[in-house]
Amino acid sequence: MATVEQSYPLGGKPFFQRASFTGNASEYFGIWIVNILLTIVTLGIYSAWAKVRRNRYFYGNTALLGHSFEYHAKGKQILIGRLIVFGFLIVVNILSHVAPLAVLAIWPVMLVVFPWFLMRGLRFNARVTSYRNVRFDFVGTYGGAFKAIFLGTLVTVISVGLLSPVATRWFYKYVFDNLRYGDRPFSTEPRLGALYEAFITVVAIVIAGLVILGLFGAAAGGFSGNSMGRGMGSISLWHWMIVLIFPIYILAGLYYRATVRNIIWSAAMIDHRHQLRSDLGRRRYAWIAISNVVVTLVTLGLMRPWAAVRMQVFLTEHTAVHVDGEIGVVFDQIRSTGNAISAEYLDVDGFDFGF
Amino acid sequence: MSMDSTLASDPQAIATGIWHPPHSSREVPARLLDVGGSLIVLSDEEGDASKRLAWGIRSDIDVSQRVGSIPRRIVFGNESVFETRDNDAVDAYLQSRGEKRSSFVHRLEIVRPRLIAFALAVFVLASIIYRYAVPALVEVAVLVTPPVVPKMMSAGTLKTLDRVTFGPSKLLEAQQAEIRDDFTRITANAEGGAGRYHLNFRDGGLIGPNAFALPDGNLVLTDQLVELAGGDKEMITAVLGHEIGHVEYKHSLRQLYSAAGVAGLVLLIAGDVGSGVHDVLTQGGGLLALSYSRQAEAQADRRSVELMLAAGEDPAALSRFFDLLEAKLDDHGDTSMLSTHPGTPERKQAILDYARELQEKQARTGG
Repeated sequence: MATVEQSYPLGGKPFFQRASFTGNASEYFGIWIVNILLTIVTLGIYSAWAKVRRNRYFYGNTALLGHSFEYHAKGKQILIGRLIVFGFLIVVNILSHVAPLAVLAIWPVMLVVFPWFLMRGLRFNARVTSYRNVRFDFVGTYGGAFKAIFLGTLVTVISVGLLSPVATRWFYKYVFDNLRYGDRPFSTEPRLGALYEAFITVVAIVIAGLVILGLFGAAAGGFSGNSMGRGMGSISLWHWMIVLIFPIYILAGLYYRATVRNIIWSAAMIDHRHQLRSDLGRRRYAWIAISNVVVTLVTLGLMRPWAAVRMQVFLTEHTAVHVDGEIGVVFDQIRSTGNAISAEYLDVDGFDFGF
Repeated sequence: MSMDSTLASDPQAIATGIWHPPHSSREVPARLLDVGGSLIVLSDEEGDASKRLAWGIRSDIDVSQRVGSIPRRIVFGNESVFETRDNDAVDAYLQSRGEKRSSFVHRLEIVRPRLIAFALAVFVLASIIYRYAVPALVEVAVLVTPPVVPKMMSAGTLKTLDRVTFGPSKLLEAQQAEIRDDFTRITANAEGGAGRYHLNFRDGGLIGPNAFALPDGNLVLTDQLVELAGGDKEMITAVLGHEIGHVEYKHSLRQLYSAAGVAGLVLLIAGDVGSGVHDVLTQGGGLLALSYSRQAEAQADRRSVELMLAAGEDPAALSRFFDLLEAKLDDHGDTSMLSTHPGTPERKQAILDYARELQEKQARTGG
């Protein structure tokens, strides 16, 4: 197999093996541009099949211990799921113009329905993913999703964000503790202290950024305050403040995301024995994410395949596993021809496991 | 690799790889062969060499489509799987059986110069859709929208605004009647006649000095705007004429549909641009909607000039409103990407020019 395995000793103790990504930008460019072309020509219908090809490319090129993953969803399943979501959005949109107040009544309903969507989305994505001929599965319940999403958000809002690490922990525990590889369970025990450390660091970055910005703003305001009237001057100053706050916010968000991934993955185990690990560099991650967007925009999207592959290489190469003894033979708990998979079509975008 | 499947007996090697028993991660080194048109997997494991692991006829076997160079899966009827990285060999075998269709998409995707043509085609198609298909669809959508939709939209909006910010008007009855008289006079020449339009007086609350039209012909004028106008009744009428223009051209409906069209286009081409770029495109769509709204404002301005002229009032009265805006709100701004209304000085000039043009035309045909 044409996979490169890098192993590295960590502190001399457990022996971790890094995952690798074998795809490349030029090969993916072909898949990507044909996906877009066929999507336009078929007025969007092909987009479901395009997603399948894209995911098969990324999963199939992600290799761990010399074996790659496989994505099994069928275009038709994804198309049905998208039609459901699309129809739902149209109804909400029409309603919001016909009766704006009725939409206010929809939101509570949405809040109750959303955890269900999340649960089904996670299940879909788990069940269509396999590794060494064995499928993943997700056994989380609605109640768990309700706690992870609804209560988590509520707790965050009520505590003005102070308890958001607790909510983050709930969410990822829900995702990982209910994930199965064949008959082997996943589990994660992230330390709350570590999550708080990440949270405080990010808050400190934002506050420091705002203070510096405020000082600049005050200086600029004091400078021009006398000469200019109340109108334009102060408006454009605010305008600039908002434009400058934005990058600080994005940077802080990227830092937080990388740190949380490291904490959650490094605390995760398969079958209570095999350890996972993630060691993303925060600055490197932020740099890749931001420069990817810039390069994609500057090249009118043509460098997007390069950007996507670049990010995937970074993520996979900073993910590793330590196998404790033998994994042994794992048996599939999902029958690919049965109801379990053909009945799944709620593919909620953005809730992948990141394999 | 050439082969004749009619000659049954000779086994033909296709590819080497690994074999998984059904639903198991156990793997056995194996090779795939064709024996008289059916497929067979033989073990390559030491001690167990050439043991038959799986076999089946082509119609019971699922060969996964090729994507890049990821491993190919050949799934047998009992759900055991033969996996190989030798994609070319599998393709050659399928081709020799006359199965060309299965790799059609993959052959498009192979990196070669024609991908440049594909990229160009994407740009051309996307801009054609944006330039022609979206506006055409908007026109069709506006035509087929039953009148009940704008009616419901308007009723909902006015009710919401009444609840959230508006209060009953504090203008004197006489003052209201005066404005209403002028209003009726200009609506006489508007599309649908005076009966189609209805003027509502409100205290603006948070919204302040404003006048706006709802798509069903209901116009709202706030006390604060009347106050701002001072005694200039003609100017208020001109502003109302502008709002009538919005109703006649169905601007709010058009704006709604074109926003939906642009969002759809972004979804169409942006299947895989990454979440960051996706956000940027969505914001860009918002900017495009703003530029549409500038066009709509200019159109409504011209309609005000026409209606005022037809009613025998000063056609350029609307320009006085912009004088007022400049003086009171200090708006000297030029048109920029971020503005919904064209820059005030620009609009004023356009109104004066159009008024002069119409008056000259009238003088010529009249005399």
